[in-house]
This record gives sequence, structure tokens and C-alpha cells, in this order.
Amino acid sequence: MLEATNELGNVALQAGGTLTDANAAAALAVGLAALGAGYAERGIGSAAVGAMAEDDDLFVNGLILTVLPETIVILALVVVFIV
Amino acid sequence: MSAVGSSNPEYVVARVRARRGSLYGDEEYRKLTRMGPAEIARFMEESSYGADINALGSRHGGVDLIEYALNRNLAGQFDDILDWSEGSLYDLIARYLRKFDAWNVKTVIRGVYTDADQSAIEVDLIRAGEFDDRRIRRLLEADSIDAVVEVLEDTIYGDPLREAHAEYEETGVLVPLENAVDRAFYERLLSGLGNDEPTRQYEAFLKAEVDFRNAANALRLARSGADIDPAAYFIEGGELFTRGSLARLARNLDDLVEYIADSQYGDELGPALRELEEAGSLIAFEHAIDAALLAYSDRLGTIHPVSVTPVISYILAKEREVENIRAIARGKEAGLSADQIESELVIT
Repeated sequence: MLEATNELGNVALQAGGTLTDANAAAALAVGLAALGAGYAERGIGSAAVGAMAEDDDLFVNGLILTVLPETIVILALVVVFIV
Repeated sequence: MSAVGSSNPEYVVARVRARRGSLYGDEEYRKLTRMGPAEIARFMEESSYGADINALGSRHGGVDLIEYALNRNLAGQFDDILDWSEGSLYDLIARYLRKFDAWNVKTVIRGVYTDADQSAIEVDLIRAGEFDDRRIRRLLEADSIDAVVEVLEDTIYGDPLREAHAEYEETGVLVPLENAVDRAFYERLLSGLGNDEPTRQYEAFLKAEVDFRNAANALRLARSGADIDPAAYFIEGGELFTRGSLARLARNLDDLVEYIADSQYGDELGPALRELEEAGSLIAFEHAIDAALLAYSDRLGTIHPVSVTPVISYILAKEREVENIRAIARGKEAGLSADQIESELVIT
């Protein structure tokens, strides 16, 4: 079983089907993290705009909460420096 | 304001939660019960009802002004909610708000039947449903039941009303027409709901409302002892009663009370049922129903914060507020004491 898996890995490597370039993998990681942050901000942003429409004083709170998911991307950027 | 696109519960819930914060609390109600009608109007003018009081202040006065301002505010708020929501959220909210369409249709039919003049009917309408101003205008201009049915031809009330109209012409009573409107509303309310968790909870809430409505009707019939067929007032869709069991239970008050106490609503309605048995106060029972529904929707709203349930919970809370203020104003006009009025309020 193990040998078969190894064999399969070798075949895959030879065919060039897996991601072997570390830089490319890091770029993908950051990209996916940014996608996740964007999706999170969509919901928070629309809620923040809704709250602001009712009460102007909520502008600062809304802005802070909206950009919070941005930290995900910043953490993902760390990966770029490690590889 | 459309049923296309993806739904946007985040936006609507945020706005609705902010508005919920400005609803009256215990403190305000306590103040209101100690005011006269003119003071209540002034108090409302300084809160979120300001624009409505000012718009109607020149035409009406006293308790009428309060009542019309409440209706106008309610309609405006609910129209706003429909305006904001999109996609499946719009569909879910519109289902519930169509009850104001049903109310308007019934009001117009009653107005035409009693030959009331147009402006008298108009002030009693609550423009919170899906009907636009044009249709409402055409409804108001209708001078016969025939014309009303024709205006509603292309709505969900078209077919049932046309069938009921034939019966109305034979008997000359409004009951078949009103039942047709109610039934069309409740049929649409529960058909084709989605299958995710919040929507299932919403469906359970709607079913509870239908059950409570049936229970209240049955209790009223059982107490009045009138010779009316309870099955004619039965609303489909609930889980507690079937047409047959309601007809049987409505004949005997004790059986009915016992049946409700043993049902899944026994916990919420238990204290009210005991009071009903002891003091025979149907009003207290109806208030308990309202309070139980309100508490139930509140709980749903916290379990599923980003779904339709907080919006429905706000809609219910707003309706209760409007009814409470109306009760205070009318009670003051009739000269009731503050304690008596307070017992009429539904506050959670």
C-alpha cells in the first residue's frame, strides 16, 4: 500500500502535476487568504453600512470592524517571508 | 426591493437592530400611562414618530392624531424593510407583511359594504404590505364589491375572491369574502418555504402563530356559546388543531383549555390558561399569546443572528409597541386609571 502511494507520488512528480515551487505555493496561500478576507468583509461591510445609515456615530466602529478580517491577509503574508 | 439576486440579511438585520434600540421601554410606557392624549402626542413628536405627528398634525387632533400617526409610522417602517431586503429574504419578509394587504382588502370591502366615504376608509388603511399606492388608490375608488374584486384580479386574492363573491351575492353577508382573503393569505404564508435551519425555525414560528390564532378563535367561540360552525373559522397550516378537532373542542371550554395545556405550547401559555380558568379573562389569554409569540421570536432572533428571524422579531415588537401606545391613548380617552391601562399592555 505504502509502496503504491510512493509510486503514485513519483509518477505525479514526473508528470509535473503537483505544486513544487515554494514561491508559487506561498503566493497561492496569500491569494486564498485574501479571498477569505474579502468574503468576510462583504458581510461585515454591508452590516456596517446598515448600522451607519441608522446612526452616523457608528462610522468609526463600523470602519474598524470592517477592516478586521484584513489581519488574515497580513498573517498570510508571513508565509511569504518564511519560504 | 425585489425578489431577485442574493439575499442580504446582514444589512437589513443591522438596520433593524438599530431601530429596535429606539423602541419604547418600560420607563417610557410608565411615563406614557401618566399623560393625557395631548402630552402623549407631544412625547411621540420628540421620538421616532416626530415626522408622522408633524405630517398629520394639521388635519387631525387628540387620540385620532396618535392613532393615524402610529399607523403611518408602522407602514413607513415596514415599507423600509421591504425596500432594503433582496432575494429570498424579501420573499420571507413579504410573506409576513402581506397580512397588512389582507387587512386593507378587508377594510375596503367593509367600507364599501357600509357605504363609508373614501377618506374614512383611507385613514384606516395600513400601507405596509406589497400593494403599491396605485392599487390602493384604485381600491379606494371602487364603489362596489364587484369593483373591488376586479381591482384585485391579478393578485393572489383574485381567484378566491371571485369564488367567494358568488356566495356573497347569494347570502349578502361578508363572512365568505373575509374568509377568502384570510385563507389566501395563510395559504401563501406557509407554502414553498426553503429548507435551511433559520427558515425552518421561521416556519415553526409561523405555524405557532397560526395555532395561537386558531386557539384564540376557538376559545372565543367556546365562551360565547354562539351557534357558529367553528370549522368555518379554521386556518390551515397549524400543527395543534385539525379542522375536525377544532370543531369538537370549541364546544367545550374545559376540554379546550386542557388540550392546549397538554400541547407543546403548554409551558408558554400555562399561566395564562390558569388565569383563564380562574377569572375567565379572555383578554389576559390573548395578551399571553402575544407575549409568548414575541418572546419566541426574540429567542429565534438571537439563535440565528444573520437570518430572517431578527427582522421578524423587530416587526412583531414594533406592532406590539403601536398597539400598546394605542391602548394607552384610547384608555386615557375613556378615563381609565394608570393601573388599569398598564394591565392592558403587552411588555416583555
